[in-house]
Amino acid sequence: MKIAHNYQWMLLQIKENPDSIAALTQKIVSSNPEIMGSAVAFVPDYFSSKGKYFAPYSYRNGDTIVTMQLGNENYEYFYMDWFQIPTSINKPYWTEPYYDTGGANALMTTFSIPITIDSAGVPKTIAVLTVDLALDWFTEIVSSVKVLETGYASVISKAGTFLTHPKKELIMNQTIFSYAKENSNDELRAIGREMQTKKNGFANSTLNGVHRIIYYTTLPSSNWSLAVVFPKSEIYLPLRKITIILIALIVIALTLLTVIISKVIGKQLIPLTAFAKSARQIAKGDFQTPIPQIKTEDEMLELHDAFHFMQNNLLHYIETLKDTTSAKEKIESELRIAREIQMGMIPKTFPPFPTRKELDQYATLIPAKEVGGDLYDYFIDDDKLYFIIGDVSGKGIPASLLMAVTRSLFRSVTLHFDSPAEILTNLNNSLAENNDSNMFVTLFLGILDLNSGQLQFCNAGHNPPILIRDDASFMEVIPNLPLGLIDGFQYQQQEKKIYSGTTLVLYTDGLTEAENESQMLYGEERLLQLINSNEDLNTQNLVETILEDVHSHVKSADQSDDLTLLAIKYNGPTPKYEKSVSLINEIDQIYILQQFIEEVGEDLDFEASLVMKLNLALEEAVSNVILYAYPKVSGKKIIVSVAYKGSDLIFTVTDTGVPFDPTLTEHPNLDLDAEERPIGGLGIFLIKQIMNEVTYSRIHDVNVFTMKKKIDPKNE
Amino acid sequence: MEIKIENIAEQTIINIKGRIDTATSPEFEKAIAPVLAGDMKDVIIECKEFEYISSTGLRLFLVLQKTANAKKGHLIIRNMNDDIKNVFNMTGFTALFKFE
Repeated sequence: MKIAHNYQWMLLQIKENPDSIAALTQKIVSSNPEIMGSAVAFVPDYFSSKGKYFAPYSYRNGDTIVTMQLGNENYEYFYMDWFQIPTSINKPYWTEPYYDTGGANALMTTFSIPITIDSAGVPKTIAVLTVDLALDWFTEIVSSVKVLETGYASVISKAGTFLTHPKKELIMNQTIFSYAKENSNDELRAIGREMQTKKNGFANSTLNGVHRIIYYTTLPSSNWSLAVVFPKSEIYLPLRKITIILIALIVIALTLLTVIISKVIGKQLIPLTAFAKSARQIAKGDFQTPIPQIKTEDEMLELHDAFHFMQNNLLHYIETLKDTTSAKEKIESELRIAREIQMGMIPKTFPPFPTRKELDQYATLIPAKEVGGDLYDYFIDDDKLYFIIGDVSGKGIPASLLMAVTRSLFRSVTLHFDSPAEILTNLNNSLAENNDSNMFVTLFLGILDLNSGQLQFCNAGHNPPILIRDDASFMEVIPNLPLGLIDGFQYQQQEKKIYSGTTLVLYTDGLTEAENESQMLYGEERLLQLINSNEDLNTQNLVETILEDVHSHVKSADQSDDLTLLAIKYNGPTPKYEKSVSLINEIDQIYILQQFIEEVGEDLDFEASLVMKLNLALEEAVSNVILYAYPKVSGKKIIVSVAYKGSDLIFTVTDTGVPFDPTLTEHPNLDLDAEERPIGGLGIFLIKQIMNEVTYSRIHDVNVFTMKKKIDPKNE
Repeated sequence: MEIKIENIAEQTIINIKGRIDTATSPEFEKAIAPVLAGDMKDVIIECKEFEYISSTGLRLFLVLQKTANAKKGHLIIRNMNDDIKNVFNMTGFTALFKFE
């Protein structure tokens, strides 16, 4: 609005001349085609001669310019925005655009400038110069701005009204706010507010799916905002084009580079392929393969030297390896030999004496990696079981050799001597004689009479065996000394009666001293407890149970010593002779007994009087059963059997009748005379007189009556 | 078993042949019944062929002796072998009888 400001100055010159002012307004309109009208409105009563209202106004009407006075009683222009506002703020003012209904119905806006003069130092407004502008040209100017392809510029008024917009229907009809609401676009509303409050800035906006950037700036002096809308896609379009070209160029360049580099490197690497070939040859075992010659003084030469060095070292290394391996093999074969000697010396078939029912026997020896010299051995001679268990001090071949010697001596010395003390004393002397190495053997020797159950034994510094009868406990043994230490030592033996059903468990300290990873020993206590809770097992199961428990203790720790177990169960002497007969519970069946006992007497070559006595005892026992065991029932079986074990003749009478213990009957009083003697009660008395031992037990609904007679060999 | 009873003059001789056991003792009992019924003035038990006795037999011997005592008669055992004598010894019967 420089035009206006120019005229302002001009006006100030002629202000005192009211008539020329109208001419000025005319001039303004005529000189400026874009100006539709112009007025100079004075404050009331400025020119006394002109009256209250003095506001010459010229406007365009088609081709002519009309001049008139603006103010009258019906139109008090002092209260109009275009007058009042600039007057009060003392600044130029743009009105809100409006449609000029009087004129060509064009979109107009009025620019008003206050004319002020200095009145005693205080600026005083005397008039307002207005210029009416049609906004068509404004719209056209703004519209002519080409923004990319589909971008555009738009001007909104201070209130937000669209003054120019590609969509002509929006102009003057909508504000940016109403438009935003119509499109439910909060973004746009916010932008509108920003445009009103901020001077200028950028904003992102999306309208109808199109992303765009809006740059807005406030037009000075009017406080209208100009917004330039750039569709995003179009902004970057040129950039994209450049990017594609660039990428294409780079790809080409790289391809070219790759080709060149591979060619160059390939040439450089030919020697490496040769080296690889040589390496493969060497790996096959051909250490003398020639390696490629390198003429250049570079890394290839270094590689060549390295290869050469490696070749030489390999040869040397392999020689060393051969030596070490054969040394190792030698040691291992020694260990193997030691183990073979050891295993060859111990009996390994089980059961060892299948024909001897007096025994249930099992043993195991698990050697340590470095054989520890444990041994066990046994044999039967003349109804006597000779057995030993031992532990040689030391490890490896020396231990296994000493173990072999001990075992052979045992076999030979027992041919000449009977008692354990003699046997060990002699064994000790033989071992001690040539014992330069001071190796020794701990040993336990036992001789068990299979008929009587009498055990003679002698200990030489070995762990006492465990004896299981009602429960398990360690045997009390005299330690004496280990074998091989003191020549001439007199060994002391001991004796013990072993009852039927007793088990002996012999072991070496490899068992009780078996270590787990924390070096805790298995221990005697644990062994004893385990055996106590497993008394009823047969020897094989017992040994296996013990081994399992030791393994669960040791787990993955190394076995440091041989582990040896020997279990011997004594079942009592075997009957030399057995016979049985069955009869029915009728009294005439007694003759069967007579037949039976006479046969037995013949088989065993008994004297007649003995046979008669046995017959009597049997008859008394059986007639009791016949008369009392099955009341009112006949046809019931009675079984009579005899077994000759050792020096005992054992009769057993069994029936399935009512429980009856004949041993409970009272003894007769032998001192009474005939009159006073009662008739009954003699039967059991006679039995007890004839037999040595009489027992009754009831086992599962069966009466078992046993009579034992000791047979003096003279009787036979 | 065979029991023969002979009455010669005032003597009654009971001949025992074989075995008196639980099976045969009822027979023996039957055989001596008449003797027990008599006055038993002079009874001899001939044991030459007597082989075996068990407690039921002993009981019957005792009955014979008791009855004889009650009737103020006499009972003599003759030629009893050692084995049977032994049984009498064991049971203390030896003291109750007279032996020849």
